[in-house]
Amino acid sequence: MASDRSRDRTSAERSEKARAADHAAIDRLADEFLPALAAKLAATGLGEIEVREGQWKVRVRRPAGEAAMQQRRGSDKASRAQPGHAGHGHPPAGLEGHRGAQGRGPVAHSTNGSSPSLTPVGPGDGADAAAAQQRQDARDEPRSTRTVATSPAVGVYQPRPEVRLGTKVRSGDRLGAVDMLGIAQEVVAPADGLVGPSLVEPGQAVEYGQELVVIELTGEG
Amino acid sequence: MFRKILIANRGEIALRILRACRTLGVEAVVAYSEADRDSLPVQLADEAICIGPADAKRSYLSAPAMMSAAIVTGCDAIHPGYGFLSEDGGFAEVVRAHDLVFIGPPATVLERFASKESTRRLLANHGLPTIPGSNGILRDDAHALEEGARIGYPLLIKPAAGGGGKGMRMVRTPRELEASLNVCRSEARAAFGDDSLYLERWLDENRHVEVQVVVDRYGHGVHLGERDCSVQRRHQKILEEAPTPALSEAARTDLCSRAIRAVVAAGYENVGTLEFLVDNAGNYYFIEINCRIQVEHPITEAVTGIDLVATQIRVAAGEPIGFTQADIEFRGHAIEFRINAEDPERDFRPSAGVVERYLPPGGPGVRMDSHLYAGYEVPPFYDSLLGKLIVWGPTREAAIARSIVALDELLVEGIVTNISIHKALLASDTFLEGKMTTNLLDRVGGAAFLAAAARA
Repeated sequence: MASDRSRDRTSAERSEKARAADHAAIDRLADEFLPALAAKLAATGLGEIEVREGQWKVRVRRPAGEAAMQQRRGSDKASRAQPGHAGHGHPPAGLEGHRGAQGRGPVAHSTNGSSPSLTPVGPGDGADAAAAQQRQDARDEPRSTRTVATSPAVGVYQPRPEVRLGTKVRSGDRLGAVDMLGIAQEVVAPADGLVGPSLVEPGQAVEYGQELVVIELTGEG
Repeated sequence: MFRKILIANRGEIALRILRACRTLGVEAVVAYSEADRDSLPVQLADEAICIGPADAKRSYLSAPAMMSAAIVTGCDAIHPGYGFLSEDGGFAEVVRAHDLVFIGPPATVLERFASKESTRRLLANHGLPTIPGSNGILRDDAHALEEGARIGYPLLIKPAAGGGGKGMRMVRTPRELEASLNVCRSEARAAFGDDSLYLERWLDENRHVEVQVVVDRYGHGVHLGERDCSVQRRHQKILEEAPTPALSEAARTDLCSRAIRAVVAAGYENVGTLEFLVDNAGNYYFIEINCRIQVEHPITEAVTGIDLVATQIRVAAGEPIGFTQADIEFRGHAIEFRINAEDPERDFRPSAGVVERYLPPGGPGVRMDSHLYAGYEVPPFYDSLLGKLIVWGPTREAAIARSIVALDELLVEGIVTNISIHKALLASDTFLEGKMTTNLLDRVGGAAFLAAAARA
């Protein structure tokens, strides 16, 4: 919530026109650039890609824990959202199918340090843009991104009640468990961070590798 | 009938079971490992669920993962296919305990036939001839040597729990026996989790002939004829045909009739296969029973016109077989070629990789059961079976003629396959005369077969 307020203040300092342009640009980024960049990043296996277009600059980075996770999963293919998913007529989708909140694969950095969505690095035009660029440069290197805790088994998911949105967790901390035929298989945080949105409901059936909980990374990206 | 079946297997058999479910109007869920995410059964399935990582121990061999998948997808039955959990009595019991149905023999029946050694004695008591062998499980090396001396060399060391040639070894002398016991024990332990071994006299020139049976829970049983699986390499079948060219029609009928009488009397249920060795004189000896649908079942389907997998599912659901022995008519001759990702030029070394092109053959009597498609990546984690070419003809000669055409049409590019060994077999006089024995390929060598075919 704090982040939203800070962003509002930032926006208020700028003209209506610049803000509208920003929003249009953000939409375009989210819809067009980001999925393509994310797919590119996944395909190349690079750690980071930066693209400039006009006065815009977008950097996509694979979180530190992400490379290992990708390797463990052994596939760049999208996981099915539900166990017992409809397979017919659904060719395996690449990373293009995954965005933001799903958190699989590389995710764009947010530059304000806490927002889960991507923020363009250099907005607007003219002096406004230059000022923004300056503000941007003054900030720390992008450091917050996200990863996702996945299911270690096929079964029924139960989060730990004390793990809530915003709870600070360390890599390896228990977030919940998947009950596989009476055997509790622990769901652990893949990295240090803050607990983000849950992608499944408590008591929901999940398959192996299914994405369960977003973790907003707080350490070095 | 079941409402929804979990297919607890992969590759071509998962596809085969999916097709049987569809013809029966039963929903199916394909359980898959992470390595099989892009496989054809997963793509064709109405529903699929990832049960674990590539490692089969944590996916296709994991009873808790399979069971959990069946429960969360709302299945009321599980089809295990062949291999993996198909003959695991413990798994069948877990399935039953959760009020689901294991599509195969009930757990109690699997337990009764779990040990090859005791099954041999059980069916001998019901009138089947068996090969002279050790009196029970080998207690230790000294017992093995003692029994070896009594039975006479050469001998075959066999694991009591297993199948598929693992842990099996032929020995010619007491010294070889002693040297091989530990290797066989560890192979058997690794493959089946049970290292008990027994001995059988080795029949040097023999044929492998097996009888397909179906028994419902009301004790009605029929046989669906026999299959000849004598073309083997290191105890692995590579080509099968039905009927066997080794026995006269009268002898075949006699063998099959005795087999079905014995298993019904011994309390067997569901589909099963009784394996026999047939010697040069036409004597046959029961060796073991396979309590599952087998890789080579399609040749039986080809000569009987009966859908064996659908029949298996119906019988597991408690339906009567629905036909009698007199209803079964055997027509023509069928041959199955196992298309494996193996290189015959390099001692059948397994290969993996991306299938760049795949063109299956067609024409009258030609069936290709395969999970291949162009662009499919064959994972390195599982067995090398890529598919099965099944060819039917009104006579053995006609089936062979169609097979030659079909094998020429079949194109798999990007990975190395064993298609060349099948072509070589079809050019070999020994095969054409119907005189293959189980040890011939190993004795002569695959390379010699390939070279002979190249000269022809």
